[in-house]
Amino acid sequence: MEKEQILSEVQEIFRNILDQENLVLSAQTTAADVEDWDSLSHIQLVVAIEKHFKIRFTSKEIQSWKNVDEMISSIQSK
Amino acid sequence: MIFFKPEFVLFFFILFNLYWFLPYNNVKKQNWLLVIANYAFYAWIDWKFVALLFASTQLVYIAANAYQNSTSPSKKKFLYIGSLVYAIGVLCFFKYFNFFLQSFNDFFKLLHINLGLTQLKILIPIGISFYSFRLISYIIDISREKIEPIKDALVFHNYISFFPTILSGPIDRANKFLPQLQVKREFSYALCVLAFRQILWGLFKKMVIADNCAEITANVFDNYIGLPASSLVLGAILYTVQMYADFSGYSDIAIGFGKLLGFEVNKNFNYPFFATNIAEFWRNWHMSLTTWLTEYVFTPLTILFRNLGKFGLILSITINFAICGLWHGANWTYILFGILNGIYFIPIILGNKMYKKRKKGAKYTLLDFLNMALVFSMFMLSLLIFRANSLSDFFNQMSHLLSKSLIEVPFIPFNKPLIIQTLIFIVIMFIAEWFTRQYDFPLFKIEQKLSKPLRYSIYYLIVVAILVFQTKTENFIYVQF
Repeated sequence: MEKEQILSEVQEIFRNILDQENLVLSAQTTAADVEDWDSLSHIQLVVAIEKHFKIRFTSKEIQSWKNVDEMISSIQSK
Repeated sequence: MIFFKPEFVLFFFILFNLYWFLPYNNVKKQNWLLVIANYAFYAWIDWKFVALLFASTQLVYIAANAYQNSTSPSKKKFLYIGSLVYAIGVLCFFKYFNFFLQSFNDFFKLLHINLGLTQLKILIPIGISFYSFRLISYIIDISREKIEPIKDALVFHNYISFFPTILSGPIDRANKFLPQLQVKREFSYALCVLAFRQILWGLFKKMVIADNCAEITANVFDNYIGLPASSLVLGAILYTVQMYADFSGYSDIAIGFGKLLGFEVNKNFNYPFFATNIAEFWRNWHMSLTTWLTEYVFTPLTILFRNLGKFGLILSITINFAICGLWHGANWTYILFGILNGIYFIPIILGNKMYKKRKKGAKYTLLDFLNMALVFSMFMLSLLIFRANSLSDFFNQMSHLLSKSLIEVPFIPFNKPLIIQTLIFIVIMFIAEWFTRQYDFPLFKIEQKLSKPLRYSIYYLIVVAILVFQTKTENFIYVQF
């Protein structure tokens, strides 16, 4: 799947979980840029993304992403 | 108290002058001087285990560099797991070997099998819980690629054995502390003034409040059977304050000595008794340990149990706090202390308030103050388990506590002026902390608030209070952990 396609699907998941309809993600977005993207919602986002793409991340991956781009690369590599 | 023994004062005086005022000083000289001081200090406290401290540090240093230089995944894995097993294994052997042996014996006794495993005579190396945690997080951070292994062994030895914090923390993390060791520290008069203020405030908490509380609480807990239950409550309140004043006082002194050598040491307390729920309390109590556990225990557990929803979160927090309890020592009382604190989180998790932080500048309402009292009482109850010698000891106290005499006027057959004087100082401490809670400690920005004469009067009053009201100096509670 193309990165852009994944980004748009991930953005939709973020909007649902964080309850922010107008949230716009870019590859460079980090947790610091998004209100309410904290350690708890991070786990909820991971669970939702795993369900949506039918994948399973490793613990190391979940703790190592520095921005959305790295998260998308992990999804792409599955 | 270790920091104020004449030998230590002389040692520090010599070190301070050499460290700052030696001609042609550079980072290498400073680090050599510091590492000698660190090991000399440790040898002075516990010479039997200097070799263990040195060997563990050196081993992790070598393994970390070999890990970085290796290209073979299997060798990397071996080095990572091997060094982790070593660091955790040494800690477990010294602290928990006999405890697990005894627990095995007891368990099999229930099944009418007598294993009869004999316990070993093991002395616990001072500070092992603190420096082992530094080693463990260093190994994990490298494997997570958060930091790169340090090439300079001198810097690494200084990090692990840093004498102001080796006995009882704070547990500094490599990413914050190692960079400070890699540059030359420049003498700053302002930083030294700040350090002395912090040490003074720490001494006040330790010598005027914690030590006096210790005299009273020892008296109450040793004789509680003959006293009304309300006296035990008063004793428990004083013990809770004692624990705070002792450990946060120690932390202020340790951080102060760190500053005198030009280092920024991790904060350990942020006015925990002003927290309005238990999650906020634990974010502000023994912060260097709780943030460590959050990163290396709680977060991996929440990831592991991520498909279990809130139950996964409850399970993670309970295990996290059981480990937090066990870290304090090999006794079921500590484990239960931890589990109880984990259970306290359940209503917060179910109400989605786990990560909600108080808005900065938000006004406190009456409900907030009631919540503070509730948090204090909950923590106080868990400290009753913490302080008890055994679980049966705790249950005896609880059955004594839940009696009619709970509503009697508390009575302690002990030096009454001492009790009143201690209560007054506790009130002074909390008032000072409340009005300066945005700062690290009450004397932090005192030069901006008060004129010089007023400032010096306050220093003078604190020194007088320490000299006049000090009692038999107890060792810091956390040195035993």
